[in-house]
Amino acid sequence: MKKLFKHILSTEDVKGIMLFSFEGELIFKKFSSPLSEEPKGSARWLNVINSLKGVKEVDVIFEKTRLYARRTEHGYLLILMGIFAPIAMIRLNCDVLLSSSKQMGIIKGLRGLLKKAN
Amino acid sequence: MTRNILVVDDDQEMLLSLKEGLEGYGENFSVLMAGDGLVAVEKLKISPISLVVSDIRMGRMDGFTLLTYIMQYYPGIPVILMTGYGTDDTERQALARGALGYIEKPFTIENLSRQIMTVTRRESDGGTLQGISSGNFLQLIGMEEKTCTIRLVDKLYDKHGVLFFKEGELLNARVGNLQGEAAAYEIFAWDEVNLSIQNACHQKERKIKSDLQAVLLEAMRLKDEAADNGEEPVSPLELKEESGNGYEVRESKEMSITNHIKSKVEGKLGKKCGLMDICEDDSWDSLLTQMAKIGEFLGAGKLKLVYVDKEESNDFILLPGQETTVISVNPKCPRERIIQALTDKQTP
Repeated sequence: MKKLFKHILSTEDVKGIMLFSFEGELIFKKFSSPLSEEPKGSARWLNVINSLKGVKEVDVIFEKTRLYARRTEHGYLLILMGIFAPIAMIRLNCDVLLSSSKQMGIIKGLRGLLKKAN
Repeated sequence: MTRNILVVDDDQEMLLSLKEGLEGYGENFSVLMAGDGLVAVEKLKISPISLVVSDIRMGRMDGFTLLTYIMQYYPGIPVILMTGYGTDDTERQALARGALGYIEKPFTIENLSRQIMTVTRRESDGGTLQGISSGNFLQLIGMEEKTCTIRLVDKLYDKHGVLFFKEGELLNARVGNLQGEAAAYEIFAWDEVNLSIQNACHQKERKIKSDLQAVLLEAMRLKDEAADNGEEPVSPLELKEESGNGYEVRESKEMSITNHIKSKVEGKLGKKCGLMDICEDDSWDSLLTQMAKIGEFLGAGKLKLVYVDKEESNDFILLPGQETTVISVNPKCPRERIIQALTDKQTP
């Protein structure tokens, strides 16, 4: 999984990645520095994922940072980044990741594998 | 996709009669004219050309010299040579030097237009695609190891470009007078394009040394850098942060919030920046509330703006405040520049 997201994670000013299922379950997370609280699957995240229903992607601009959420076949990918992150490159990497993973069947069964891995 | 045919002849009467005759085929192609080879070279630099039809005998620069120039600098553009003094040797030379066709004067307009349409149809023999993101598609060309010539039109600014692929390797790119990696960077920065694919590549020389992935990523980096540097400087809206959560447009007796945002954004980015509608709409409050909560959890600070793509005919920009302001935008809009315009602070 880490390998799958390595291009995104290695992009300048990307601070972390979370992948949530449509049921709000945390499938994968990786942060460059630990968060004060673990983003475990909970009602909080279910509400967040539900609020994204029908949305392909959102760019969320905060005062200090930026969040990019992208719908995948199995849930939403949330990328946390600084304000200097190259967002066009990150979007492109998501496009490439999603299309190539579909082509190569990587996503297929990914969730099950990830559950085992976690 | 518009196809421009460049007709080159130093006989003004001939040139005008060809133009008049070919204009009858305006549904299929447009006609540009050049009075000799040198004028044609200048036209090639500034206009996207699909085919050149040139006389051979001309002053300053003749048809053979023009053909040689095109083969070297614009190998994707086919050339038909015409002459009133043809011999078997002239025809043999024309074809040997790379001309796609050869036609002897006098000829009928119908005959010439048939040849033109046969050639231009080949430009899209591999198919056409409308309104796609170029980066993702071109990755697939690389993965499929295709040999092809791709002609692209940037939907936002109506710029034309050409990419030459041989077995998935990007050999060259061209936009106007720009070639090589510089042209590729520009093309790859286009957000949405129409393109046609020709299943052939006439480019011989490899002008782009880096691999496709590297060029794509560098193009994205340059695009981000350009946005960061504000190459087309965008001054901020006169928005100020409230003490609470969100924005409040500085009060103006003359302007409503809607007019204020519209005039400011369009004033900086132009009328074609893609703003469609601005209104207050509380149906997005749930999404904004959840995003604000994520911000709290992540220690990200106050929520400033949310850009939403629902794969509908419009995208939406949400500005939190006592009332949520929703800006509908064309999905082809320069997203980053609008976000920058809306989020940059200006000291009151």
